Amino acid sequence: MLEIKNLHVKLEDEGREILKGLSLTVPAGEVHAIMGPNGSGKSTLAYVLAGRDGYEVTGGDILWKGESIIDMEPDERAAKGVFLAFQYPMEIPGVAGLTFLRTALNSVRKKRGEAELTTPAFLKLVKEKGQKLNIDIEMLKRPVNVGFSGGEKKRSEILQMALLEPTLCVLDETDSGLDIDALRIVSEGVNALRDKDRAFVVITHYQRLLNYIVPDKVHVLADGRIQKTGGKELALELEKSGYAEYTHKAA
Amino acid sequence: MNVAVMKTKAEQAIAENFEAVAEKLPGSAAVKARRSQAIGAFSGLGLPHRRVEEWKYTDLRVNVKDVLPSAINDATPLTIAELLVALGPLAHVDAHRVVFVNGHYRADLGDFSDAVGAMVAPLGELLSGASEDVIAPMISTPEGGDAVETLNTAFMTDGAVVTIEGGASLAKPLLLVFVRAGTQAQSVAVRNFVTVGEKAAVEIIEAHVVLPGASHDAQLNALTEVAVGKGATLRHAKVAADEGKALHLSNWDVTLAADATYRSFQFSAGLGLARNNQNIIFEGEGAKIDLSGAYLARHAEHIDTTLVVDHAVPRCESRELFKGVLDGRGCGVFQGKIIVRPDAQKTDGKQMSQALMLSEDAEFDSKPELEIYADDVVCGHGTTSAQLDPDLLFYCRSRGIPENEARALMIESFIGEAIDKVENEQLRDALTAYTMLWLGRSPRG
Repeated sequence: MLEIKNLHVKLEDEGREILKGLSLTVPAGEVHAIMGPNGSGKSTLAYVLAGRDGYEVTGGDILWKGESIIDMEPDERAAKGVFLAFQYPMEIPGVAGLTFLRTALNSVRKKRGEAELTTPAFLKLVKEKGQKLNIDIEMLKRPVNVGFSGGEKKRSEILQMALLEPTLCVLDETDSGLDIDALRIVSEGVNALRDKDRAFVVITHYQRLLNYIVPDKVHVLADGRIQKTGGKELALELEKSGYAEYTHKAA
Repeated sequence: MNVAVMKTKAEQAIAENFEAVAEKLPGSAAVKARRSQAIGAFSGLGLPHRRVEEWKYTDLRVNVKDVLPSAINDATPLTIAELLVALGPLAHVDAHRVVFVNGHYRADLGDFSDAVGAMVAPLGELLSGASEDVIAPMISTPEGGDAVETLNTAFMTDGAVVTIEGGASLAKPLLLVFVRAGTQAQSVAVRNFVTVGEKAAVEIIEAHVVLPGASHDAQLNALTEVAVGKGATLRHAKVAADEGKALHLSNWDVTLAADATYRSFQFSAGLGLARNNQNIIFEGEGAKIDLSGAYLARHAEHIDTTLVVDHAVPRCESRELFKGVLDGRGCGVFQGKIIVRPDAQKTDGKQMSQALMLSEDAEFDSKPELEIYADDVVCGHGTTSAQLDPDLLFYCRSRGIPENEARALMIESFIGEAIDKVENEQLRDALTAYTMLWLGRSPRG
């Protein structure tokens, strides 16, 4: 279970407060959508969960399975099962996808006390997981994400997720830059990972994604706080009325 | 203004060295005459220093204090097994092997009898019996020549004379291995000649490697003269991997006939002070070159890449990509001159030099020089110096990769972009392995 308690976060550089007492609980096995207008703090929430530099937690806490993660390094969090699917996955020229995946997987396995995978075992696993996402080995021999289309990059994120088997999956605007076909493949990849032991935080701007990844709960984030929580029908409501009500309330 | 400068201790030692070994160096009377001429010319030039524009950032007068005794002969025992140890990752590159130990040819360690279409002869033997007719076209001491090349003529002991027959296409690369072995600190001078016949295709790798336990102190002067024939292709690589103390002075002088293709890659790691010169002259239209390289420097190591590309004729294409990783007080120098002569219309030249700075004390000096005298050309250059990208670092770490490993991966990635220019997959793997060894990681299986 993910528990975010009265979380206050400011940007280290500017000192501006972005999250202003955000509280949220996501039990294992559930998918929670976070929706909100631009600048509401959605991406900050994603980055703070993953442990990116540049954000200062000034109050509150984040507990994952009862343990505070706010002082952990990003790689420690990954080993604990936290995974962030990036809105804009990074390109790593000069590092083959397979090398990257294998380094990541073996790092995580090592920290989880599991044996490193042999090359044949690793390739078999990648082939199997890649197939469902329409990613073949040839694509992974190329440098990570270099020259990939928007859809390919997002599929490659989901492949990483499938391989690392996280228990807390944070999806940051996974639908951005995707056409309908890519959206379907990516969503199927995510849905295949839905599991009673796994919690999902799906951050999105639009309701569209939630037709494919159907959430258990929808939260409206505005002005650094959760303003409203509801079922999946809340997303449809927002699609109609927009965020004006919440931004107004915040102001 | 002509100012008589006092000879430095090193310059004096060079002159004395020559006196001592001149009689023992290989060569007929014609060769000996060339050597004397060369040492005379050097006496006028002296070691290059910072007031010589081409040597502004790599001052040999300041940095070369002592001159090691010349390796005029060699009897160091070396087995094939030891050779493979010295070759390290390069041992996995399937190649015809030509081997020199401390600057002297070793027939027993070579393996190139089945290199169909290639003639390989040791220079030492050739020099001993060479008449003026043979030597004249090979060795000259031009007025105002390069001091390091002049010294090479004076002291060269051996090297590979490689001739690729017209139309020949070699399936495996020729690997010219120069091994340093033995505990004696020496100065070695070698010279290679590579002639690629019309429409031939070959890959030549020059490797400067060290047998573990050999003297760390060493001075090398290596000159390779290359002529690529009409429509021929040469893939040319140099790998110099040492232990951080050696002086490495390398010159590649290349001429290209019409429609020739020349692709080169130079890798340097662990060199105390290195100067990698490449002088390329386009002599025939329609030729293409792609020069690239990677260098790794830390502690107080200094690696200088100096390129002069002379577009003397129209319609030629040049590409340059060099990448350096600089840590500690490591210093990287890049000087890239592209000359486009008045007639060289339709020239297409591009240059990129990038450094990754890992410490506050690292230094990178980059000097692109475009001299363009023609008006219908496309020429561009760029240079960057950067630190590791924190966003990329976070991306890797968010996938569970620990910080030091993420850093290593990113350094590998930075260098990898240059290594990707190498077409030979086995060589690419060897270069990646060298990079990983430098980073203190074991190469991937």
